Amino acid sequence: MTVLSVENLHVWFALAEGGELHAVRGVSFDLSSGDRFGLVGESGCGKTTAILALMGLLPPTASVAGRVVLDGEDILARGEESVSGHRWRDLAMIFQGAMNAFNPVKRIGDQIAEPLALHGLAEGGEARRQVGELLELVGISASRADRFPHEFSGGMRQRAAIAMALACKPKVLLADEPTTALDVMVQAQILELLVGLAHDLGLALVLVTHDLPVVAQTCERAGVMYSGRIVEAGPTEALYHDPRHPYTRLLFAATPDLYGEGAVVSIAGTPPRLDREPPGCSFAPRCDRVFEPCASVVPRPLAVGAEHEAECHLNDPALRAAS
Amino acid sequence: MGARGTNYVVKRTLFGLMTVLVAVTLNFVLFRAAPGDPASALRCRACTPEFKEEQRKEFGLDKSMVEQYGIYMKELLQGNLGSSFTTRRPVWDELGPALANTLPMIALGTAFSIVFGILSGVVAAWRRGTWADWGNVSVSLFFYSLPTQWLGLMLVIVFAGTLPVSGISDPFLEFTDPSTWEVFVDRMKHMILPALTLGLVLYGDYALVTRSSLLNTLGEDYILTARAKGLGSWTIVRRHALRNALLPISTLIAISLGYLVGGSILVEAVFSYPGIGLEVYDAIFERDYPVLQGAFLILTLSVVLANYAADLLYLKLDPRIAE
Amino acid sequence: MTLPAPAETAPVTGAAGLGSRVWSLVRSKPAATAGVIVIALFVLVAVTAPYLAPYGPREKVGEPFAPPSGAHPFGLDDGGVDMLTLMMYGARVSLLVGFAAAAVAMLIGGTIGLVSGYFGGKLDTGLTAVTNYMIAIPDVPLILVVAALFGRSLTNIIIIIGAIYWTYTARIIRAETKSLRERTYVKRTRSLGAGNTRIIVRHVLPQVGPLLIAQTVLFVAYAIFAETYVTFLGLGDPSLISWGKLIENAFEANAISAGAWWAIVPPGFAVAFVVLACTMVGRSLEDALNPRLRVGHLSVHRFRIRRPPEQEPQ
Repeated sequence: MTVLSVENLHVWFALAEGGELHAVRGVSFDLSSGDRFGLVGESGCGKTTAILALMGLLPPTASVAGRVVLDGEDILARGEESVSGHRWRDLAMIFQGAMNAFNPVKRIGDQIAEPLALHGLAEGGEARRQVGELLELVGISASRADRFPHEFSGGMRQRAAIAMALACKPKVLLADEPTTALDVMVQAQILELLVGLAHDLGLALVLVTHDLPVVAQTCERAGVMYSGRIVEAGPTEALYHDPRHPYTRLLFAATPDLYGEGAVVSIAGTPPRLDREPPGCSFAPRCDRVFEPCASVVPRPLAVGAEHEAECHLNDPALRAAS
Repeated sequence: MGARGTNYVVKRTLFGLMTVLVAVTLNFVLFRAAPGDPASALRCRACTPEFKEEQRKEFGLDKSMVEQYGIYMKELLQGNLGSSFTTRRPVWDELGPALANTLPMIALGTAFSIVFGILSGVVAAWRRGTWADWGNVSVSLFFYSLPTQWLGLMLVIVFAGTLPVSGISDPFLEFTDPSTWEVFVDRMKHMILPALTLGLVLYGDYALVTRSSLLNTLGEDYILTARAKGLGSWTIVRRHALRNALLPISTLIAISLGYLVGGSILVEAVFSYPGIGLEVYDAIFERDYPVLQGAFLILTLSVVLANYAADLLYLKLDPRIAE
Repeated sequence: MTLPAPAETAPVTGAAGLGSRVWSLVRSKPAATAGVIVIALFVLVAVTAPYLAPYGPREKVGEPFAPPSGAHPFGLDDGGVDMLTLMMYGARVSLLVGFAAAAVAMLIGGTIGLVSGYFGGKLDTGLTAVTNYMIAIPDVPLILVVAALFGRSLTNIIIIIGAIYWTYTARIIRAETKSLRERTYVKRTRSLGAGNTRIIVRHVLPQVGPLLIAQTVLFVAYAIFAETYVTFLGLGDPSLISWGKLIENAFEANAISAGAWWAIVPPGFAVAFVVLACTMVGRSLEDALNPRLRVGHLSVHRFRIRRPPEQEPQ
């Protein structure tokens, strides 16, 4: 059953010199309990902004449109007012580089206990007990609760951040590049942990990353973002083996194979400017299979398989026949 | 405390000791290297021949400079700072009580600047970009730009009649057989204006440091995490940002002492406040070089000591240095 | 494709480049521009004082401590001399001490910082130690003691003030020079065989220059303060008129008891305006050279909600 439904999410940033940046341009996806959904794309495609928007963690220069429906309620309807009550209790987040997610002069245990006290769930001794449980859940000895963040290694800090995120038993966990700054061995452990938690706790996980192997390992479904939109979404398997958008195909081909087979393809051109609306498909300037309608007609999401959609004119038999 | 912490303490202690040595030597060299050697009792025109003879014997004034330096150091270690040309009493007997008057006044001045500064800085950072920010910064910069003695005179003009503007106590008070409380209040009333002068000139530093430090802290990831956890803005500032933002204040206090000793000379001159600053003022006027030399040494050593204490305090406040 | 990091490309060299760079920095920040204008105005008044002043600086034109009037907008001092005239003449000495002492501090501090940062090694360690010890000694008492011992001529005062404040500049210039030394283009030039002097003059100096100038402008402010402190304690040249001397004069003559606030207020404000102007220019330049852009995660303002753009028909 659907836990979170994002409908047509838009985010704009006002620029200092005037004008706006349209960073997220109508993103939609659904999450059910236990789902593991990956959001992939290059830097600057809007994926981090999109999940920050889900929790209302945007700066004052931002404006937001769209619906974020949690348990039937649009939590974004009245902006900060409506979304702030859901923070951490329904939606929690772990950030890129947990190095700085913790306040360096406070103990880890205190910081994990903080949301417990804040949301009236536990205090004092009971809170300490729960903190201990949470740490054990992520594979850290409970006795380490009294340490300071700089006494933890990078991987342990990220685990502690996960423990902290789970403190109020949220329904949705948003993970923004959780493994980017970690070495490969630790990466694997963290990802395994996340998969396990999603399964055991019924947690819905959104994993934002630019690292495709991470998505392959962790998520059963993924959305590929380009220039503020999800240009293709579907089962991870399908994206790998049957990509229906040139960007998806090129993105996966650009990842060097572990065995060194296959040529490494790089995507020509530069990412598009977000302060202008493109006349047609935003990927057209860099696409290797661009054809006539691409430059002038904006592609709409088309079903291309089971739970698999792509925004590309190549999937439209009518347009292909015409050209 | 780990190895780095011990290392830090040792380094700072060595530096402190070396600075003391440099200051003492500089003190000797300055006063004896002046043209005409005016600091030597032998050149003192207002002194009696008996006094000159005493000094010659005590400090070896007819020996070579190197020998005199040795005697100077030896006497110094025994607490002998020489004798005043004007009163012929030991310098320490003059300066000790004076110092005891100055210290609480300076402490009060520092308290004023910290309170004004933190209030101003927090408001400015909290309301960044608004009139409150601009106004606070401008006002504190303005006070910072005033010559200390001039501000003191302005306060005399404004408060003459409301608060005492000279001395340390009401000369007629003792005739009314006052209680300890009344004596205390009287002393405080005499301290307020000189302390307020120092506080007003200095608070700009604290305000600007608080403001920029708070702004910096507010950009840290753990602030975003705190916001994601659902903490209210003011709670975040109070619990997470302020403590980290105020770390630089402790070092600022020590650095400010360097200004305060200079400032105290000026305010005590304006308010005829019988502290060590007024002793310097009178000593310059009367060419009482031993007193001047002694005061300079005391002031310099106080600053070195305060800086050393601040270094150690910072170690305690920021656990990262200790590891 | 990535653009080369700006720090690695060889920047503008030469004195003309330095001047124009500083000037464009000043123009880009309104605070700095305002500051420069204020300073320029004061300098103009100071330079033209003998022609502009309504009366002579020692000319008795009325009763002591006469209040402000039409003919004397700032009133008269304890000797019956016109305060406005005194203020204009006072600007000459105050600004002279300010600029000259700051120049001395810049020369000493800049040289020591450059040499220390560029050559490193034992020379650096030694100079840094000296700098650190000097900084630990409180500046105003030191200035007063040296002035009390070594005489009160104008030149002495300028040298003394400059010789005390060089330490702060030295520290900053040293840090900047050190980091510059490691930049690729400097290493490249050295490997081409260019001599140290050439590198310092043509490559390091133009980069360090703006920072040095920013520091110097700030020190003009400190020097003007220091001059007022020195004269207030009776250590200035008694024959010269400066803003500090006017304050001291008023104090000694008990202007406050006489109710003659006009004898005290103007010099203080004059110092404040010049110091403020210097601070704005110096700090703006420093900020421009070391931009610290930081997004705050908290604000009183909130993000805004909008109506979504038209949904594309599904």
